Amino acid sequence: MAKKSRVSPMFKRAVSHIFTKPATTKYPFVKPTLPEDFRGQQVFDIKLCVSCGLCSRDCPAKAIEMVEVEGKRRPQFKLDQCIFCYQCAESCPRNAIKSSVFYELATTDKSSLVLKPQASVQKGA
Amino acid sequence: MPSSNIDIINVIESKLKDKVQIQLGQLSTATIITNNGLHRDVLRAMVEADEKTAITAITGIDLGANIGVYYHVRTSNAFLTIKAEVPKDNPKIQTITDIIPGAVFHEMEVMDLLGVVFEGHPNPGRIVLPENWPQGVYPLRKDFKASEVKLEPPKAEAKTSDEEKLVKIIIGPQHPALLEPEKFAVTVDGETVTKVEPRIGYVHRGIEKASESRTYLQDVYLVERICGICNSIHACAFVETVEKILKTEIPPRAKYLRVITLELNRLHSHLLTLGHAGLEIGYETLFQYFWRDREPIMDLIELTSGNRVLSSVMTVGGVRRDLKDSDIPKIKTTLADLRKKLPFYRQIYENEPSIKMRMKNVGTLKREDALKLCVVGPVARGSGVDIDVRKDEPYEAYGEIPFKEIVYTAGDTWARMNVRMDEVEESINIIEYAIDHLPTGPFRVKAPRVVPAGEAVNRVEAPRGELFYYVKSNDTAFPDRVKVRTPTFSNIPAFLKTAIGENIADIPPNFVSLDPCFSCTDR
Amino acid sequence: MIDFTLIFRILVFPGFTFILLLTLFCDWLERKLEARIQNRVGPMVAGPAGILQPLADFIKLLTKEDIEPRDAKKIVFRFAPLVAFTIMILATCFLPIDGASALSASGFNGDLIVILALVTIANFLLFLSGWASSNPYGAIGSARVLTQFLGYDIPLSLLALTPAFIAGSLSIAVIASSQIIPFIILAPWAFVLFIITMQAELEKDPFDIPHADSEVVGGLETEYTGGKLAFLHLTRDVQIVFGAALVVELFLGGPYGPVFFGFPVFWYSLWFVLKLLAIVIITEYISCVFARLRIDQVLSANWRVILPAAILSLMLTVAMVTWIYPMVV
Repeated sequence: MAKKSRVSPMFKRAVSHIFTKPATTKYPFVKPTLPEDFRGQQVFDIKLCVSCGLCSRDCPAKAIEMVEVEGKRRPQFKLDQCIFCYQCAESCPRNAIKSSVFYELATTDKSSLVLKPQASVQKGA
Repeated sequence: MPSSNIDIINVIESKLKDKVQIQLGQLSTATIITNNGLHRDVLRAMVEADEKTAITAITGIDLGANIGVYYHVRTSNAFLTIKAEVPKDNPKIQTITDIIPGAVFHEMEVMDLLGVVFEGHPNPGRIVLPENWPQGVYPLRKDFKASEVKLEPPKAEAKTSDEEKLVKIIIGPQHPALLEPEKFAVTVDGETVTKVEPRIGYVHRGIEKASESRTYLQDVYLVERICGICNSIHACAFVETVEKILKTEIPPRAKYLRVITLELNRLHSHLLTLGHAGLEIGYETLFQYFWRDREPIMDLIELTSGNRVLSSVMTVGGVRRDLKDSDIPKIKTTLADLRKKLPFYRQIYENEPSIKMRMKNVGTLKREDALKLCVVGPVARGSGVDIDVRKDEPYEAYGEIPFKEIVYTAGDTWARMNVRMDEVEESINIIEYAIDHLPTGPFRVKAPRVVPAGEAVNRVEAPRGELFYYVKSNDTAFPDRVKVRTPTFSNIPAFLKTAIGENIADIPPNFVSLDPCFSCTDR
Repeated sequence: MIDFTLIFRILVFPGFTFILLLTLFCDWLERKLEARIQNRVGPMVAGPAGILQPLADFIKLLTKEDIEPRDAKKIVFRFAPLVAFTIMILATCFLPIDGASALSASGFNGDLIVILALVTIANFLLFLSGWASSNPYGAIGSARVLTQFLGYDIPLSLLALTPAFIAGSLSIAVIASSQIIPFIILAPWAFVLFIITMQAELEKDPFDIPHADSEVVGGLETEYTGGKLAFLHLTRDVQIVFGAALVVELFLGGPYGPVFFGFPVFWYSLWFVLKLLAIVIITEYISCVFARLRIDQVLSANWRVILPAAILSLMLTVAMVTWIYPMVV
């Protein structure tokens, strides 16, 4: 364009926007797709755990507590204190903690935010 | 890249020979050990030799029997530390605010947190601690016990009379113009502002003290949460400082990956400010457009780091995640789309009459004031002072990536906003170059958890300006002292100066143009 | 004898209920338009396409707790919003909507001046409601409202006189019905200036200062909660409808338009509503594309630009009507 226009482009753009589709997605009716290594709720595989306690020691938010389950010490995650940094997954020598894309963690029941280690696989996405 | 050839060490040596001890190569360019008030002479010599001498930070540190007061000073091509010590039972030292006016806030903070008395300070008083904090209790001293602090109930402020209510307008702590709580008592004469008295410290969380009781690994996540907008730059500055103490060299791929994360952070922060400025002048449409264009950048941050805001990719020794090759096309298309939208915004800033009426010649900061008040970041670059840590002291891969330093000379709100808009384009260029020239290899080396005794300083360029870290280690897994100086802490005195003489209705756009981030300021 | 027709006309159509429904509809239209310009969705959940959203907001505010500051001037604080709302509805009732106004069949000579005076009184009551709040932000906000509307009232009256001059009468019904050629074509300069002055009277961007929440928190609404706040909002919305209706009457030919079949009442109301919505869309568009000016810029725009332009426009119209149009028309 040889000559620069002296009129603000906002006037034309405002009119043209009336006829374009809005940029907003209508959540919660339409949910977004997240990348697969999104740092959502933790998924803990009890079969790989060796009870070393490194996850609990390295957690910056002190959100992991080692509790007794069937005679062994296992990590219990307090999701309301967790900052989802996944340092626990990095410190774990056996890769027993993995991430998931489940992020809708809001709840009215505080006890549902404590992930107790069980012999079966944790609930999650 | 040095912008002048003044050899500041020679200047100091020639003027103060044998009275001070100079250790070259320590704590960046050199450390100068002084006593007996000679710090004033050293600073005066530096200010006279180089006009860009400015205080970056003043660190107070508990050294047992003494309290160390370290002045970190930057010049056009060097970064020095002047160390002085005062005995704990009589911690008096002379102020430097007559030589460098921008040191006012820094000295007040050391007074508040460590109890050092700066003789001759124009405005001694509380800055980060609340008014009802007990006297004589200093949190950063090693003998401080949190359980022994008993806070009195706060006293009600004296009731202002009705005439005073119309003359002294209090903005904050809760106010729609401010994102975070701070109080500014603005004295007006009709519609013109005559004085602004700030009170910061409403969100002081004691992060510097908290970092002393956490390991280095946990501290990376702690300092990341000093600020939500510039989180990865805080983490990066901290791990770089620790790597300097450990003398660890990180692999080249890690350096480029860090640059990509940091520049994505800068992009979303600048777009946030540009939109917020539109909101302050009542231009909601511009605000919504900028934030709509910021959303794809948040998606990119989510793609590369796993979370939209707090990226948590930095660690001592490199980065925690790699950039997948399958993600690169999406990054490139998003950045190309953003680049295509920039001419529209530039045209609005050039041609829109209501923006020009609200932003031009508003909040002008002259170059001499910018130099004396030690401002940093786009505020300085909008007033003609060309400081940018990425150019002056390149870190990570910035020495290898070509980009322009944006400087405008007008010094008003319009110029500062334009600096940020041009920096958006430069950030896009940097990310594209980094992706195209990404070296192969490992992205992380193992680092020991126990750091041997030592100390290091580090400065990086946050979106708001120069961010400074000082870490001292003592051969344990816990740091001895972490000192953070955030850019907004240095920039608030500039606001106190630019608001005077202006219309009170100009305070919101003026204030937003210096891009305040109070979580950073108060820590 | 009770005149049921008159009561019906005042209370239901084209009086109170009709104006209220039209206000709620215009509020929805404005919000939807602003959202689409800003590339958002706007109201979408309450009712189909969110059309019940203004009603939902009104009802929500009525259910909230009503708090009064201890130092507020009680009677003014409580009744100013209600009286302002009533006066605005009264002013709108003077305008012919379906061929005749709600109050009387043909109006009377001079009702243009009466409704301009009523609008000024309503604005003054809004100022009083902010002043009675005993809050510094309320005081500053209401002082700005006063300065702005008093300043812009003068060019507004001058520009409103222009169609009166062309029609030769001060009665709105006569002005509306004598527009065989709508006055927007005969005096377009007056139309443009009238739209700009109306933006300032209605306190919309770029003359939005009394509602600038980044400077004065809530302005005159700061201390209001609950039902009183609902009426303040409603008063502002009725003002917008009134302003657009006045433009329609004075410049666009009022409710008169081609009648195709059946009842003229229906067609007149339809044309009135369509023209009103067109003006509402124009003012909302102007409000979206500009930033907010400072109070001193607003005042200098008034005294230095708009007022001289209004005087010139009146002179130009007098000249055109007296000498030029009789030769052409």
